[in-house]
Amino acid sequence: MSIETLKLCAILIALAPLGGAILVGALGRPALRGRSHWLSILGVAVAFVCSLIVFGVVRGAHGEQTSAMISVYDWIASGSGSWFKVEFLIDPLAAIMLVTVTGISLLVVIYSRDYMRDHGEPVRGYERFFAYLALFVFSMCMLVQGGNFLLLYLGWEAVGLCSYLLIGFYYQRPAAAAAAKKAFIVNRVGDFGFGLGILLIYITFRTLDYGRVFQMVEAGVTASGDPLETGRLTAISLLLLCGACGKSAQLPLHVWLPDAMEGPSPVSALIHAATMVTAGVYMVARCGVMFTGSPTAMAVVAVLGAVTALFAATIAVTQTDMKRILAYSTISQLGYMFLGLGVYAAGSAIFHLFTHAFFKALLFLAAGSVMHAMGGIIDIRRFSGLRKILPWTFFTFVLGAIALAGVPLTSGFFSKDEIIHHAFTHHWALGLIGLLTAVLTAFYTFRMVFVAFFGTERVPEGVHPHESGRWMLVPLFLLGIGAVFAGYFGFPGHNFQHFLEPVFHDTFVARSPVPHGAEPAGFWAQYGLMFVSGALALLAILVAYALYVRQPWIPDTIRSSAGRLYTTLLHKYYADEAYDASVVKPLRTGGKVCVGLDDYVVDGLIFVVTAIPRGLAYVLRVLQQGAIQSYAMAMAIGFAVIMWVVLLSTGGCG
Amino acid sequence: MTGVGEYVVVGAILFALGLVGFLSRRNLIVMFLSTELMFQGVVVNVVAFSRLHEHVDGQAFALFLLAIAAVEAGLALGLLVLLYRIRGTLDADAWSTMSG
Amino acid sequence: MTSALPQHAYALYAIFALGALGLYCLLPRTERARTIPGIVIGSSALIGLLLFLGIRIASPTSASVYFCIFSALAILGGVRVITHPKPVYSAVYFVLVVVAVAAMLILLQAEFLAAALIIIYAGAILVTYVFVIMLAQQSGRPTYDRRAREPFAAVLAGFILMAAVAGQVSTLPGSQDATSRSARMASDESLPAAADESADPLKGSNTAGMGVLLMTKYVIALEIAGLLLLISMVGAIALSKKRAASERIEEEARPIGQIGKEVKPF
Repeated sequence: MSIETLKLCAILIALAPLGGAILVGALGRPALRGRSHWLSILGVAVAFVCSLIVFGVVRGAHGEQTSAMISVYDWIASGSGSWFKVEFLIDPLAAIMLVTVTGISLLVVIYSRDYMRDHGEPVRGYERFFAYLALFVFSMCMLVQGGNFLLLYLGWEAVGLCSYLLIGFYYQRPAAAAAAKKAFIVNRVGDFGFGLGILLIYITFRTLDYGRVFQMVEAGVTASGDPLETGRLTAISLLLLCGACGKSAQLPLHVWLPDAMEGPSPVSALIHAATMVTAGVYMVARCGVMFTGSPTAMAVVAVLGAVTALFAATIAVTQTDMKRILAYSTISQLGYMFLGLGVYAAGSAIFHLFTHAFFKALLFLAAGSVMHAMGGIIDIRRFSGLRKILPWTFFTFVLGAIALAGVPLTSGFFSKDEIIHHAFTHHWALGLIGLLTAVLTAFYTFRMVFVAFFGTERVPEGVHPHESGRWMLVPLFLLGIGAVFAGYFGFPGHNFQHFLEPVFHDTFVARSPVPHGAEPAGFWAQYGLMFVSGALALLAILVAYALYVRQPWIPDTIRSSAGRLYTTLLHKYYADEAYDASVVKPLRTGGKVCVGLDDYVVDGLIFVVTAIPRGLAYVLRVLQQGAIQSYAMAMAIGFAVIMWVVLLSTGGCG
Repeated sequence: MTGVGEYVVVGAILFALGLVGFLSRRNLIVMFLSTELMFQGVVVNVVAFSRLHEHVDGQAFALFLLAIAAVEAGLALGLLVLLYRIRGTLDADAWSTMSG
Repeated sequence: MTSALPQHAYALYAIFALGALGLYCLLPRTERARTIPGIVIGSSALIGLLLFLGIRIASPTSASVYFCIFSALAILGGVRVITHPKPVYSAVYFVLVVVAVAAMLILLQAEFLAAALIIIYAGAILVTYVFVIMLAQQSGRPTYDRRAREPFAAVLAGFILMAAVAGQVSTLPGSQDATSRSARMASDESLPAAADESADPLKGSNTAGMGVLLMTKYVIALEIAGLLLLISMVGAIALSKKRAASERIEEEARPIGQIGKEVKPF
């Protein structure tokens, strides 16, 4: 395959979804209406096929030739004669991300065809939805394959915009509008740091080109040739991490993701699996050379990931909203990925991203299927025993659940285990947290499964449940296959890792303080952890089964006896309340003060200013009363005075 | 023989009286009478200067003044009657608005 | 001559100020009348003026006496025209002014003009005025006749005008200079032709000279004046022809506050 083919594919990957979005947006309402999905599906499918070709090309390449910078055109003159280009960086990391993003997105778009219908009729804004979806895919592709930080930032912001548009798709609902705003604003906080980071990169290296920036970082010099201080690198890394926290919903900025389920379920699937939250992980992996250059930043990443993973998992245990549980599990799994990155196991992190995309998309789409069947209700307390009513949905949901829970030989098991393994080699505490989180994950996942699908058959009143149509079930099955078997890409002989080796070897693997190859070679050392974690996951599932199917009264007892802890978890550690008290309320108070200032000081000033001409007019108005005699009077007096003055000053006419 | 200065003074006084009347009276008819008074002052003035310069031109001007006064009286009084018919009053202030 | 200006001017200022004050008192008003002080002040001002004029006229002749009498009559009449609350009386006093002015014109040897003034004014214009006054008669004594508007400002305007004139009066040739004008002109050899030409019409009949002038030098002006009169006549007829229209307007007449309220925008 020549470089031209690669270039064509890279361009098509970006342009096909964008073209679909534009066409659907332009033609959807007047011309396409209920057929809008075809264009979006076509666009994303083209992108997917091209991604596969790119993947094949990259896989077939040898040695140093695994990465290629494809320059498309000059975009912005940077002032000093150089240009910010629109260029695509194609390497194994980008290829994997592209395949994941476009593949999952394609299935989600296909799924949406039925989901966005109400009794066969397209819902209001059907074409708008598909236009946004395609735009979302375009944004993510730009983010992933962009060849410099500016394109990364472009994709980054476009993804944020699309998430805002899609979360707020049902903008008539106040909750959806608020969730969209929340997502956008919280992301904005992160993006602010991200923007600062990029500016700092530009200031330090006078370029935003990946290749040159990473080269200079590796060489330890700045643009002016001075040695690069670790402090500066730490600053850049942490600022970039700030953006990653926003996009990937890590601890301080995680609050938007659980609310994002106000959007339609396919959007949740897209955001959680393919297009949005993975951006932060990708970015940290891409900028690995910077992060690994600063041990502080790496430690922060690792601790942040571990804490987030545990934190979100504990919250997920108490939640009752199916999509909310899944949202917290996403946060938790993203925490895993960051943990993986932080312990120099970027390959494992990306692997987990890859497998997670399958089963999380599957779970969300299956949850959407449940929601579809339950008439929009998703609270697991409101229904149970759906196993019989929605057999295929149940089946696929369980596939996703076992993957998420890390049941042995499923995809989640392999990828998660790798991360935990690397965490243990790094620091025992991180590994322990990972393990604990894995147990919690298995527990809350199957709590959800048991409560919703087992037990007595019960559906909300007035709902006539029905199994979803083909358009929804086919993507579910495909994802189910992926969820179960995607892990095998990673297991035998570390294929996946090997593929990513050219990208991560110099940046992560070689820089790890604990050499990757130094693991004990014994069977138990290598596989013991797998058995332990697998056994723990199964045990957690059994406990869930016992608690929620066999002895349903036990959870209530626990709930009432662990009152405060339970309430804390139920309120998600009061994160929203804390933000409300620490940010929203002061801002609102400040806003009120500003309004008061505006009302009384500024407006008062304006009133004073306007009062001057008004007062003047009040005085002068007397003169303009329309009585001609007054005018004549003024004229006569003026004339007489002028005449007098003239005659006196000229000394008279004589 | 009386000089021109005295006539000028008397003419000016008549003119000023007319001016005061025009400005201060509110009755439209009296206002126009006041303008006639001003004409008288001007006539005296013009003829006095005509006498001073030994020219008849001033008297010719005075004659034209009379013609103007007649024209003014004819038109103004016609207008007055019309205005009076519309508003039922001769008060100049009744016409201080632009409408109507 | 100019050296005499200040005293003359100040005397005139004082006289005019006094006259203005009197006039101010005499202008009609609804509040407490100040007729008596007005009359006192005004008449004292008039007497002062006459004294001033008398002083200026060094050698009193019968003509100057007549001048004083007629000027006093004209001024008194003028004051009454603008101060009398009833328009009819104003018109009658105006006749007095016209007659006095005509008499002064005769003193100025403008006999034709004097006759024309009497005929046109007292005969034609005043009659029209009286007609109109009768037509537009208001019942009772309307307030707008009984109360002057801003009398002080009006009087001030008049006073300033007079003050402007007062400073210039003494620069004009008084009677002392004009006594032997013809003699002086005769002795003036520099402009004999011009003197002859300008004096020529006045040597013969005043009326004849004016006729010649109007038909030669001012013939176009005369025609324009005639045209103007014609236009005035046409205009007056047109105005009175609109009686029907004006009656219709009268029917629709409403209080001012309501006008325009019913108008729909487009």
